[in-house]
Amino acid sequence: MASAAARRQDINPVRKWLRWNEYTPTLVLFLFPTVLFMVVFVIWPIISSFQLSFYDWNGIDPTRKFIGLENWARLLNDNVFWRAFGNNLTVVVLSIAVQMPIGMALAILLERGGRRFNIFKTIYFFPLLMSSVAVGILFKYIYDPSFGAVNGLLKAIGLETLKRNWLSDPGIVLYSVIAVICWQYIPFYMILFLAALSGISEELRDAALIDGATDRQYYLKIAIPLIRGTVRTAVLLSLIGSLKYFDLIWVMTEGGPSNASELMATYMYKKAFPSFKMGYGSTVAMALFLIVMGIAVVSFYFSRRLETEV
Amino acid sequence: MRKLVVFTLLAVMVAGLAPVAAQGPHITLWHIQTSGVGPELIQQAVDRYMAANPGVSVEVVPLQNDPFKLQIRTAMGAGDPPCVFPSWGGGPLYEYEQAGQVIDLTDYMMADNYVEHFLPASLSNVTFDDKIWGVPVENTAVAVFYYNKDIFGRYNLEPPTTWDELVAVSQTLIDNGVVPFSLANKTKWTSSMYYMYLVDRIGGPEIFQAAANRLPGGTFEDPAFVQAGEMIQDLVEMGAFIEGFNNLDYDTGQSRMPVYAGEAAMELMGTWEIANFKAENPEFYESSLGFFAFPAVEDGVGDPSNVVGTVGDNYYHISATCEYPDEAFELITYLIDDESVALRVEAGRIPPVVGVSEMLEDPILQQVMAMVENAASVQLWYDQYLPPELGEVHKDTMQALFGLEITPEEAAAMQEEAVAEYFGR
Repeated sequence: MASAAARRQDINPVRKWLRWNEYTPTLVLFLFPTVLFMVVFVIWPIISSFQLSFYDWNGIDPTRKFIGLENWARLLNDNVFWRAFGNNLTVVVLSIAVQMPIGMALAILLERGGRRFNIFKTIYFFPLLMSSVAVGILFKYIYDPSFGAVNGLLKAIGLETLKRNWLSDPGIVLYSVIAVICWQYIPFYMILFLAALSGISEELRDAALIDGATDRQYYLKIAIPLIRGTVRTAVLLSLIGSLKYFDLIWVMTEGGPSNASELMATYMYKKAFPSFKMGYGSTVAMALFLIVMGIAVVSFYFSRRLETEV
Repeated sequence: MRKLVVFTLLAVMVAGLAPVAAQGPHITLWHIQTSGVGPELIQQAVDRYMAANPGVSVEVVPLQNDPFKLQIRTAMGAGDPPCVFPSWGGGPLYEYEQAGQVIDLTDYMMADNYVEHFLPASLSNVTFDDKIWGVPVENTAVAVFYYNKDIFGRYNLEPPTTWDELVAVSQTLIDNGVVPFSLANKTKWTSSMYYMYLVDRIGGPEIFQAAANRLPGGTFEDPAFVQAGEMIQDLVEMGAFIEGFNNLDYDTGQSRMPVYAGEAAMELMGTWEIANFKAENPEFYESSLGFFAFPAVEDGVGDPSNVVGTVGDNYYHISATCEYPDEAFELITYLIDDESVALRVEAGRIPPVVGVSEMLEDPILQQVMAMVENAASVQLWYDQYLPPELGEVHKDTMQALFGLEITPEEAAAMQEEAVAEYFGR
């Protein structure tokens, strides 16, 4: 009796959750498939590629050669990997610096426009609906130095001096692709911000306007601070997405020319597949995993603290 | 009700695990003949085989070229490769052989002198340790220069026979505002063709053989490799290649667009390009398309009749896990029997069998075949000859060399270093 009373008063949520009761069999039954899939398709591959990173293996030989930390030592001295890491950081910074403000500006514009602007909501959303491969191939033609729309337009308006080999000049190829990435993802953040802005109650705006706030003051001082949770989520999503970015780069440049637009993920793919250095490819994969994990945890922690301080 | 739902879910899960019962020999065939009439070429042979062998079922799986390279390795790594599958011979096949993934076909090939059905040159890419590991089937493809006859006519140019003449032709074209060469080098193996030919013309095929097989004295730092790099960079510096070539994509036709538009006069490419010209721009193919062999290099020791390419293109192999090798081999013979050969020729291909030259009607293909028959040697594409890892290094080096990001000496050293590390000597 006493223990039953104690159990009733136990409010530690973890212990409460773990305690066996009449719902437990059902809970286990319903969670089992998800957990099984997670283990088979997420956790086990991570463990086994970590294991593979200590081997030299071409993918088909019956035997894998154990080489200890050789792959990891090679990675630390691999200029291409660090260049790819640097490129990833460029993608992170530019993605956040370009996508967030433009996404927010468009969201505000659409919110102010109301129903009349609904048509733009659909139009602006288009890029996100297209598959990355289609977008990549499309922009490959748009950037074509002789036949592409970009150089064609520059020529038409008399700015021939600005014509570039957008995708084959090692100095600008990365920025050319980032521009496309931004074009594709701005609508996503726009919708995210728009939804959050629409969630702010009308009374708040009315109250602000009665108090004499301008539109500009309303958004900068009231609306955006109110949706900072959404902004934080958006920045984190963009950060993590940019660090493990793969698809448009792969379709448009395959990391080239000569690694000028190489990212960690494309480098991992190149090593593991076309070159069939499964061991080294796995090492790059694990490094990518650890870097993304580390940066995500740190930024999650700091952005949380920031939020509670504000 | 709840029990019913749970039971149904469980039943579905268990049913998914139950193996499908197989009846009689079952053979899986992978192929990559997905463009044009390719799928029908394979299917008609399989249909005839199944009609003649009613007890055997054959499953045909078509795959895209590049995804295939990945899937076959993954399937082998997982111990579940298809019974019959293609390759290009050379380095990757050698890895399969070393890993015990393919079976020795010598006995099958020797039975009833079946081997004499094929052009001898076609077997060199699949013969290791004096054993034959694959059957040549699909095509004969070598790299040649295509040129626009109208542009050449306009400036009174003749197809060059020496490198100096080629450079002179290029200079004339540049002076008249025409780009000499179209090239789509995001794909990387496209530029490798210049390098392979130049090395062959300068030093002969033995230079590469010695370097790639680590024979005594063989090295990628041989002067022939360095000189080839210098000659390429001279061309790049004079502006002989189309603008932005290093990130144009061959697979989406970006090298042929400038040719059709008359902006570029020449392209060095495999003979499969003829079929592309014919399909994409019949007018250009009929009235303007000409071709010439890669020119000789003055002072070079390589025989100018040598070609770079492949006699066979796709070879078919039987995996070590195949339960029915006899049936599988018979199936392969249907892919290259008289009926299949006739259909391939009709489709504009040159299957690597004896007597094929008499069957060809297209004048360009006839000339290509004459080139191959008269060639003192046929050098397989480097990226197919080398193991995959080194093939990638070679291709990356080519892109950097053409992009003027490394010197010819550095290009030679990078390849030598990678090869030496791979073979441990």
